[in-house]
Amino acid sequence: MSAQGSQPPHRSGVGMIPGLDSAPLPQPLPQQVPPPGSAERWPWLQHLRRQPPFALEPWLEAIESERLQLQLDLLVALAPRLDDAATERLLAWWFASTEVDTALLEPLSQRRTAGSARLLRQALERQPSPEQQELVLPLLGHQRQPADFPLLAGHALDPQPAAVRRAALEGLCRGLSAWPAPALRRILAQLAEDLDPRLAAAAVDTLARVPAARPALLALRRRPLAAPVAQRLERRLKALRAAPLLLVVHGRAGGTIPSALLELAQELERRRGAPVRLQALTAASLPDPAALASGPGQPPLTLVPLFLLPGGHVRHDLPAIAAHWRRQGPLRRLPFLGAWPAWQRALAAEVAALAPAPVRLLHHPLEGPLPGRFLAHLERISGARVQAAPYSSDQLDSLMQSLAGPAIPLALAANRLTDTLKDRLGPPLLARERCYAVLLTHLEALP
Amino acid sequence: MAASGLNRTQDNVESSSDAHGSAAKRSKLEQAKADFCGLDLAPRLADLGRAGWDSLDEATLTIHLKWLGIFFRPVTPGRFMVRLRLPNGLIRAPQLEVLADAVDRCGEHGSADFTTRQNIQLRGLVLEDMAPLLNDLQSVGLTTRQSGHDNPRNVTGNPLAGLDPEEFIDTRPLVAAIQEALLGPEGPRNLPRKFNVAVGGAPDSFLLHNDLAFLPARQGDDLGFTVMVGGFFSAQRNELAIPLGLWLRPDQLVGFSLAVLRHFEHHGDRSVRNRSRLMYLIENLGLATYRDQVLEAWRDREGAAAQALPHDGSHLVCRAPRDICGVHPQKQEGLVWVGLHVPMGRLDAEAMAELARLATTYGRGELRISESQNVLIADVPQDQVAALLAEPLLRRFSPQPGPLQAEAVSCTGNSYCSFALIPTKATAQAVVETLEQRLELPHGVRSHWTGCPNACGQPYMGEIGLMGAKVRKEGQMVEAVKIFLGGEMGDDPRLGSLHEKGVALSDLPEVLETLLVERFGARRRATVV
Repeated sequence: MSAQGSQPPHRSGVGMIPGLDSAPLPQPLPQQVPPPGSAERWPWLQHLRRQPPFALEPWLEAIESERLQLQLDLLVALAPRLDDAATERLLAWWFASTEVDTALLEPLSQRRTAGSARLLRQALERQPSPEQQELVLPLLGHQRQPADFPLLAGHALDPQPAAVRRAALEGLCRGLSAWPAPALRRILAQLAEDLDPRLAAAAVDTLARVPAARPALLALRRRPLAAPVAQRLERRLKALRAAPLLLVVHGRAGGTIPSALLELAQELERRRGAPVRLQALTAASLPDPAALASGPGQPPLTLVPLFLLPGGHVRHDLPAIAAHWRRQGPLRRLPFLGAWPAWQRALAAEVAALAPAPVRLLHHPLEGPLPGRFLAHLERISGARVQAAPYSSDQLDSLMQSLAGPAIPLALAANRLTDTLKDRLGPPLLARERCYAVLLTHLEALP
Repeated sequence: MAASGLNRTQDNVESSSDAHGSAAKRSKLEQAKADFCGLDLAPRLADLGRAGWDSLDEATLTIHLKWLGIFFRPVTPGRFMVRLRLPNGLIRAPQLEVLADAVDRCGEHGSADFTTRQNIQLRGLVLEDMAPLLNDLQSVGLTTRQSGHDNPRNVTGNPLAGLDPEEFIDTRPLVAAIQEALLGPEGPRNLPRKFNVAVGGAPDSFLLHNDLAFLPARQGDDLGFTVMVGGFFSAQRNELAIPLGLWLRPDQLVGFSLAVLRHFEHHGDRSVRNRSRLMYLIENLGLATYRDQVLEAWRDREGAAAQALPHDGSHLVCRAPRDICGVHPQKQEGLVWVGLHVPMGRLDAEAMAELARLATTYGRGELRISESQNVLIADVPQDQVAALLAEPLLRRFSPQPGPLQAEAVSCTGNSYCSFALIPTKATAQAVVETLEQRLELPHGVRSHWTGCPNACGQPYMGEIGLMGAKVRKEGQMVEAVKIFLGGEMGDDPRLGSLHEKGVALSDLPEVLETLLVERFGARRRATVV
C-alpha cells in the first residue's frame, strides 16, 4: 500500500459570495426585491429573512394590489414575520386571485388561526374542482378545528373522486388528536374496508396512531380487508406491542391451576403476541420476572386480578403481590375482574338466560361491609339473588337441598363447589361461552 | 442521569449568556435557544403528540424540536421529518427494519433519504409518531439526538472502515467515541451554528468540507491525524478546511474534539448568523491565536495529557473518494462488500426492509452508507455473491450503475424544502438517465445537484455542480440551474467555480451533453435507444 503525501490544500474556490451585505436594511421595501431570475434575488431574500422587524403593511398592500408578485421564495422569506392577521389577509388574497401559484397555499396555511380555517372551509363550500379540494382538505385538517371533523369525515366517506377522499383522510390524519376519538375510530375502520386500496391502507395507518388503537386494529382483523391492507394491518399490529400480562388467580390446593385457566393464558399469549403468565395464591413459587419484563418504550407489565369478589385476597393479598412486581419494574394494575362493567353485563346476561325462574349466584362466604355492598350491587345489576355457599361437604349437602331454582357458581374455573355440585350448578364461568368470550376479548384488547 | 443532563443544559445556557453578552443583545433565535434546550422536550413528546402541534409555540416547533432530530416542514405542514445519527454511516439490519416500519406507517407520504453525511432522514411522520418512534429507535440503539440546527451533526468516517484493504486506520471506533462524547454530559448543547466533524482513514477520505476534519498523517513512524479546520459551504461563502498545524494520536481525537466544540460554543460569533461558522471565528482570532486557545481549552479539560505535536498539515489522503458500488474484496479473506447505487439516495419502506433482509441473508446484517448517498452490504461470503446479485432489489439498486449515476448526489429539492428552486432529485435522475442513453463515458463523473445556494448538495465538490435557479426564457420565468465546474477532491483539492449562470432545465441535457463530450471525454452513442 502506498500513499503519496499531500501538501496543505489551497484555500481556493468560491470564497465570499458578493452581494450579501450583512448590514440591516433601513426599511426593506417591496420595490427593492430583485425580479425573479435575477442573480441578486436569492441572496437578497436571504438577507431579508435576517432583518430586524420591519413594517409589513407595504408588503401586504403590494401583494394584494399585485404590484409585487408573491412567489414561493419571497413567501418563505416573509413567512416568519407574518402574524395571524397578515396570514389571513394573504390567504384571502390567494383565494380571491385567479392566477396564483398553488405551491403558495401550504405555507400560507401553516399557521393555525380561526380565520385561516374559515377561509379554507369557505373555499370548500364553493364546491371547487377536485384538484382544488385535494389541495385544501389536508390543510383544513392541519388547522385542527374540532368543528371541521364532520366535514372532513364526510369528504372521506362520500362517493367522489378517490383523490379527494384521500385528501380528506390526509386532513383527518394531520389533525388527528383534535377529533373525537370514538367517532374517528369508527370512520377509519369503515374506510379500512374501502375498495380503494390506497384509501384503505391510509385508514389503517391512521387508525394505528389513534390512542388505544390496538383493540380497534384487532377488530379489523375480523373484517374482510383487501390482502395488501390486511398485511399492512398485521405490520401495524406488530409494532403496537402488547404488554406482558400477569393473571392472578386463586388456584387449587398445592398451587395447581385449573386447566381452563391454563388454556385461557395460552390462547391469550397466542393472540397478543406477548407473554401471559399465571400466578396462583396457593402456589409457593412465582412466575419468572425475566419472562414478564418489558423493554424500554414498551407498555409495562399489567397485573390482572381474576377474582370475582372484593374479599380478603383482593383487599390484602393483591396489594402485596402488586408491591412485589413493582419492585421488578413498572406495573399497571387493573381492578379485580368482578368489578369490570363488561363482566357484570355478561353475568347479567347469563342470569337472564335462566329467567324467569329466580336465579341464585353462589359465592364464597365473605365478611365485612365492603363485600356486602358489592354483593348488593351485584344483585341489582344481575337480577339474581346472591347466596354464600359454604365449602364443607356436609354444608353443601344442606345447601343443595335448600336451592329451589337455578344457580350459577361465582367461580371462574373448577373448584370444590363446582366439583361437588356439578350436576346441580352447571359448569364454572369460564366454561360458559358468553363469559369466556367476554373475558378473552377484553384481555386480548388490553394495551 | 436525566436531571444532571438538564443541569448541564442550564449551565450551558448561562455560560453562553456570559460569553455572548446580555439577553437584551441576543437575536430572537439565540434568545429562543437560551430559553431552554430542545432536549428537555424528550419526556414530553408523548403528551405533545396527544395535544397536537398547535400546542407548541413557533420557536418550539421550528427550533427546539430539532434538538430531538424532529423537523417541522413548511412545505408539508403537519408531516414532519426525522433525522437520525449514524456514526460512520453504519447501520445494522434490525435498525433499518425499524426505520422501514416508521416509513411504512406513513403510507404514500413516507420516504427516506440517504444523505451526504452518511445519514438517514425519514419523511412523512406526524407528531403522534414521534414518541413511539424515538422509543423504538432507542430499543435498537439508534438516536436522533442533536441531529439538526446548531448542533454537532452526524460524525462521518470511511464508509469502508474495517473492510477496506487500503485503509490506514479503522475509523469506526474513533467516530463512535467522538459521537458519544459530543452527545454525552460534557458535549455542547448550544452552539452558535451547526458543526461538522469527520475522521478519515483511507487514501480517498476527502473531508475538507467539514468544520473539523482529522486526516490520517504520519509523524515519523507513528500513524495519527493532522487536524484540519474551518471547511464549510453556505450561501455566502465556501471554504475548504485548512491545516491547524497539529498532529494527534488516535486516542486524543475525542478529547480534542470536545475542546474544539466547547471552545466554539463559548467563543463563536452569535451576532450575525451568516458569519457564525467556525472559519469566521478562526479568521477573527487569527489561526495561531485560535490554535493556542483551543490547546489551552484542551489542557484545561484534560491536563498534561493534552499535548499535540506541531505538524505541517500534510496527510495521506491523495485521491477522490472511490465509487463504492460493485463487488469488492474485503481485507478479510473470502469476504466481499457489495455496493449498491440508490438513485439520488431516495428510499421507500419496501426497499429499506428488503435491504435489511439482504444484509441479514447474505452478510452479517451490516450496511454502510456513503457520502455519495449509496449503500453497501458488508461481509458477504464470495460464494453468496451470485445469489445476492440475482435478487430483484438489485435491478432497482444496481451494483453496476452507469458512470453518471454512480456518483450523482442530490439535495432534497422543492418537494420537501421551501428554499429549493427546482425539484432536484427528480431532475437529476431524469437528466442523468437521458445523458447515459446518449453518451459513452470512459470513467465516472461526479455530479452534485443542489436546489439553492445553501449548497446542501455540495455543488462545489462535484466535477460538475448544479444549483437550482430561475431564468427568463422566451418571456417566461422557468426553472433552471447554474453550472459549476472544476470541483476536485483528489490530491489537489479545489472547489468548483461558476461556469454557466442560468441554464433552463429544458436545455440542460443538451448543455451537459456538450460539456461531457468536450471536457470529460464522452462519446456520443451511434444510436440513441
